[in-house]
Amino acid sequence: MYSAGPLFKHLHPFVKPLLQIFFCVMLALSGNAFAKKKKIVATSNHWSFQPVVAEHRYDRVDAFLNEAMANKNLRPLGRAERRTLIRRVYLVMLGLPPSPEEVAQFLNDDSPQAWDRLVDRILASPHYGERMARHWLDLTRFAESNGFETNRERPSAWHFRDYVIKSFNDDKPYDQFVKEHLAGDALGADIGTGFLVAGPYDIVKSPDPNLTLMQRQDELADMINTTGTAFLGMTIGCARCHDHKFDPITQRDYYSMQAIFAGVKFGERAVKKEVTPNDTKKVAVLRESLTAAERELEKLRGIAATTKRGLSVLRPAVNARLNTETFDSTLAKFVRFTIQRTNSSEPCLDELAIFDKSGKNIALAKAGAIATSSGNLPGYPIHQLAHLNDGKTGNQWSWISDQVGRGWVEIEFAKASSAERIEWSRDRADRFSDRLAIDYKIELSVDGKSWSLAASSNDREPFGGNADPNAFLAKLPAPEAKRASELITEINLNRSRIAAMQNGVKAWVANFSKPGATHRLHRGEPMAKREEVPPDALEVIGSLDLAMDAPEQTRRLALAEWIASEKNPLTARVAVNRLWQFVFGTGIVDTPSDLGTNGTLPTHPELLDWLADDFVKHGWSMKHTLRLLLNSNAFQRSSQPNSAAARIDASSRFFWRFPPRRLEAEAIRDGMLSVAGTLDRKMGGQGFHLFDVDRENVVHYHAKDETGPAEWRRMIYLFKIRQEQDAVFGSFDCPDGNQVIPTRSRSTTPLQALNLFNSRFTMQQAQKLAERLGARADRVPQTYELLYNRPATSDEIRDAEKFIEDHNFLAFCRAMLNTSEFLFIF
Amino acid sequence: MIDTRHLLNRRNFLSHSVNGLGGVALASILNQEGLLGAEKLRESAAGKMPIRPSIDTTNPHAPRLPHTVPRAKQVLMIFCSGAISQVDTWDYKPELIKRHGQPMPGGDKLITFQGEQGNLMKSPWEFKRRGQSGKMVTDLLPRLGDLADEMCFLHGMTGKTNTHGPGENFMCTGFTLDGFPSAGAWTTYALGSEAEDLPAYVAIPDIRGTPQSSVNCWGPGFLPAAFQGTSFNAAKAVRNLATPNGLTGTTDAATRAFLQRQNYRHLQNHVGDSQLEARIASYELAARMQLSIPEVTELSNEPDYILKEYGADESGNKILDLRAAYGRNCILARRLIEKGVRFVQLFNGAYQTGGEGVSNWDGHKKIKEQYDIHGPVLDQPTAALLKDLKVRGLLDDTLVVFCSEFGRMPTFQKGASGRDHNPDGFTAWLAGAGVKAPFSYGATDEFSHKAVEGVTTIYDFYATILHILGLDHERLSFYHNGIERRLTDVHGAVIKEILASS
Repeated sequence: MYSAGPLFKHLHPFVKPLLQIFFCVMLALSGNAFAKKKKIVATSNHWSFQPVVAEHRYDRVDAFLNEAMANKNLRPLGRAERRTLIRRVYLVMLGLPPSPEEVAQFLNDDSPQAWDRLVDRILASPHYGERMARHWLDLTRFAESNGFETNRERPSAWHFRDYVIKSFNDDKPYDQFVKEHLAGDALGADIGTGFLVAGPYDIVKSPDPNLTLMQRQDELADMINTTGTAFLGMTIGCARCHDHKFDPITQRDYYSMQAIFAGVKFGERAVKKEVTPNDTKKVAVLRESLTAAERELEKLRGIAATTKRGLSVLRPAVNARLNTETFDSTLAKFVRFTIQRTNSSEPCLDELAIFDKSGKNIALAKAGAIATSSGNLPGYPIHQLAHLNDGKTGNQWSWISDQVGRGWVEIEFAKASSAERIEWSRDRADRFSDRLAIDYKIELSVDGKSWSLAASSNDREPFGGNADPNAFLAKLPAPEAKRASELITEINLNRSRIAAMQNGVKAWVANFSKPGATHRLHRGEPMAKREEVPPDALEVIGSLDLAMDAPEQTRRLALAEWIASEKNPLTARVAVNRLWQFVFGTGIVDTPSDLGTNGTLPTHPELLDWLADDFVKHGWSMKHTLRLLLNSNAFQRSSQPNSAAARIDASSRFFWRFPPRRLEAEAIRDGMLSVAGTLDRKMGGQGFHLFDVDRENVVHYHAKDETGPAEWRRMIYLFKIRQEQDAVFGSFDCPDGNQVIPTRSRSTTPLQALNLFNSRFTMQQAQKLAERLGARADRVPQTYELLYNRPATSDEIRDAEKFIEDHNFLAFCRAMLNTSEFLFIF
Repeated sequence: MIDTRHLLNRRNFLSHSVNGLGGVALASILNQEGLLGAEKLRESAAGKMPIRPSIDTTNPHAPRLPHTVPRAKQVLMIFCSGAISQVDTWDYKPELIKRHGQPMPGGDKLITFQGEQGNLMKSPWEFKRRGQSGKMVTDLLPRLGDLADEMCFLHGMTGKTNTHGPGENFMCTGFTLDGFPSAGAWTTYALGSEAEDLPAYVAIPDIRGTPQSSVNCWGPGFLPAAFQGTSFNAAKAVRNLATPNGLTGTTDAATRAFLQRQNYRHLQNHVGDSQLEARIASYELAARMQLSIPEVTELSNEPDYILKEYGADESGNKILDLRAAYGRNCILARRLIEKGVRFVQLFNGAYQTGGEGVSNWDGHKKIKEQYDIHGPVLDQPTAALLKDLKVRGLLDDTLVVFCSEFGRMPTFQKGASGRDHNPDGFTAWLAGAGVKAPFSYGATDEFSHKAVEGVTTIYDFYATILHILGLDHERLSFYHNGIERRLTDVHGAVIKEILASS
């Protein structure tokens, strides 16, 4: 007999008393924001707010699972057949079935590393990014139209989709990925901010001020909700009208989050181009030759400076990209770079390189050099002293002083060496030109006490002046002047080539404006303004310490750093739980967007923490964590039913078997195209359309009756219209792009059966499949190999051949594309 | 306390699953699908525990018990897209007639959706006493007016948005934003359907197109897709219902049989997997629907007097053509109710096309001219539908709901001959099972601008409708992204005053 009472108790071993305390405090508070500290104390001992535990009893997935199984008297099943495994890993990780050739290759690989190698191939496949992106776009409620009744298209929104695919394929560290979503504009990844504005946007504007305010509140609520659920697994949106009923999130927290996004606007704008790996290579080569040319030119300038022909000429003004200082070879153990003035804010250096006669950079930490400074800007992992001499350049690997306009850095070599050239820059990647040292000096010392000046800004043109940068040419002897002219031409050409590879597309990404004041709104009513609130994160986890009028980008960047921090107890847990869910179908916490008190408890809390800790320790590499999961026995276990085990754990949440599941709409369609041989594997770019579009003030979408090769790409490349569903596959629980969807429901309906059995799409693909197989009754075994990755049984062959004889091969293909075995992961 | 009835129900159907193959794994599958929610039950914001419907995956539309004894079993919703004017139909205001042409007090400071107000304008259609109750209804809808004794008017309706998309979302889903489950989806999620071989929930779009919020109006939101409305009308069949071109019926049937044999063979290796059983069952149901849907949409066997009554017999000009098309949809709606479909949503008016108010009730600029078309199209067929339901005894179990996304202003817009949007006071009516009739509840101010008495939010509206269906709106919830979501959000109270005494 089921009894709900004990069930409730069982699941709330310590949550219930917490809730009681919480409600008592709630009553006492009645929404007063000033008293909220008390409440947080009362509720923040919920498990997910505790730091991720770093010490663990085990160091592999199965050890945790096996212990939990033993405690439940569950015995794991054995390993699944190899055919099952390769099909499973393809469907789970790539969303496509393997070809019979790929299956054969795996079956014939006798080495003990066969599985590991398969997993490596899978994770290196570009289809991996396409598959993961589908999960991610569900979470980020991505669609390519505005929604609401006008529902106009966003023809340039696909850049975000491609960015997501590429990020997964490149195994971009998850912390960086998250930061780019919230503040990519500050990190050289503009397109990431497509996340902020991927949601619905009501373009019906009215002179009615109430309506306008409410629309803006709804836009911001969408950003807050999505950020909270997707990255933090917290339902922050609940606190829009009143303090959260279950979690320690106050209404003030909500409006503080709102202040973070207050300057974010919807629209299209020009962004830096998404750079392909090929582009990156080309740019690197161009940069190298640019640097060589600049160095050579610098030498020529040096000659000009020392010639007696006419008056001495000033060196060119400093620039953000690269400055060279040359001087007579001098023995030194210490080099000090002192900044006296900048063009704005605290000075920033991305690298300080000091070369000896042999051209070796002796300032590198790797070479034993030690960097010290007058002080470092706190709180930014991307800006730290260690970045000054780490050999890496660009804003993300830079140092910033803690004083506005000034500061010094010092390099102490491992041993006294002869230095003769120094290169320094603000941002070698050429994206930032603020925080530039424009008044500086460089001194050398052997003992750290007496210093000699080696170079300074005194002999440079003033920054921002309009002096002719090429005036020095006149002072050079003819051959050198000619060479210098050539170099200048080459440098300019290289610069414009690099710019062309990085710049210039329009994309639907966040636009930014100066935010006004944000107020707490009583009951969420736009007209009921209460106290002003500063931009901030959830107080239960910590504060961003931002001023009321903090600059727009600073707000988002601060939130991004706070979320994507290893100290945030939620972020890594939420992420690894999602990866687990993508692989196994259900998360360790089965409410993946709610790790709050209203969510369920993890089935394997220790495992979750170990994975989260390991994930961060491995540089937030998603491929690393996925490899752990795929290499586990749990993933490779048979999916056969077992009634004894099912009585204890019917849904296999303890992984005594691999839990089977139906494929999602997209994977079904992709799979049909793949076996029919019609799948166009072209990646990226503008999506394909499944609707005829009728554009009035309001846009009308009419599902196409007939599709052709242009529409036979992977469904991730479908031009995703909000609300409107594909006429065949929409009924397979496709999200409509309006809500964060952390877990797809998997319903089974007669409408799905009608669509899959009768649609023009199925008939077309069945026809193509029949043609591919030669449409002969003796091709039944090949059909089974192609669709199921296994041989047909003699029963099946007999039945199919008889059916084909009585009817035709096309009808056989139509039936096969409808079978459960084709549509499920086992 | 938790109501354990639904848990007991689940045990019942566990032993009855299809082909005797069901069993242990079923519960697991239901959990995975979030259909049963035998997971942790969470208190909703109202402080009540949810009641999860017990859903058999092999037949998600099987009828289910409500929470309490229901007063109605089915719903027919008639939705006028574009915001039908209460001022020109049901909301009689002598003061408006008296002060016709004068400025509305405070109207000069009022900015509505399209801007500034002109003067108060009485309806161009005359109000007359109707039925025994003497309810005042205009000449725009004389035949519906004649049925006023059947209606329970809610004159104090309020919304919270004055744009169409969010307004239609709000009226259909309880939220102004896109992406929430429609009332029909909630109802079929809770109750399944009595119509075995038909979809549980049917949306009948206007022949001119989908409503302004499009498929949101019957979407499943985050509920499983099994509970979305299936949309078709008398003119446009269900997509992919027909056997593909060029296939004989024999081959089609044999193909399905082969498919099912293959699925059964596969099931032998996965005994007890209800997802697989459900797929087999779904193909059987699909095959039955291929017969039963054309049967229900094929109107040629309706007698002439019915076609005439519904205005479906005449054509030849714009009004008659539209009326005939809508009339056929009304006949279809009656047939679906007759067959036991749980929730039927019948639309009058479509998305905006060809300008404001041309294809729907959005009469901003030329309301007289436009409503002179929309009125006759709506009036006769809807009245015939109501009468027909009554004659056939279907109103005993069916709740009829007449609504629109919001109402319109008692003023004309400045410089125009039409009315702007008004979410602050408008009229809906209910009829049939569970409600008092003739009855009028709530009222707007002296001009029909703002609700002042018996103010009824859309949350109250749905709390009441669910109550009539035997569902507690605070316990019918679905866990999504950390929240027990409800049709009524965290609001709503049943309007006891309008319930029929049993």
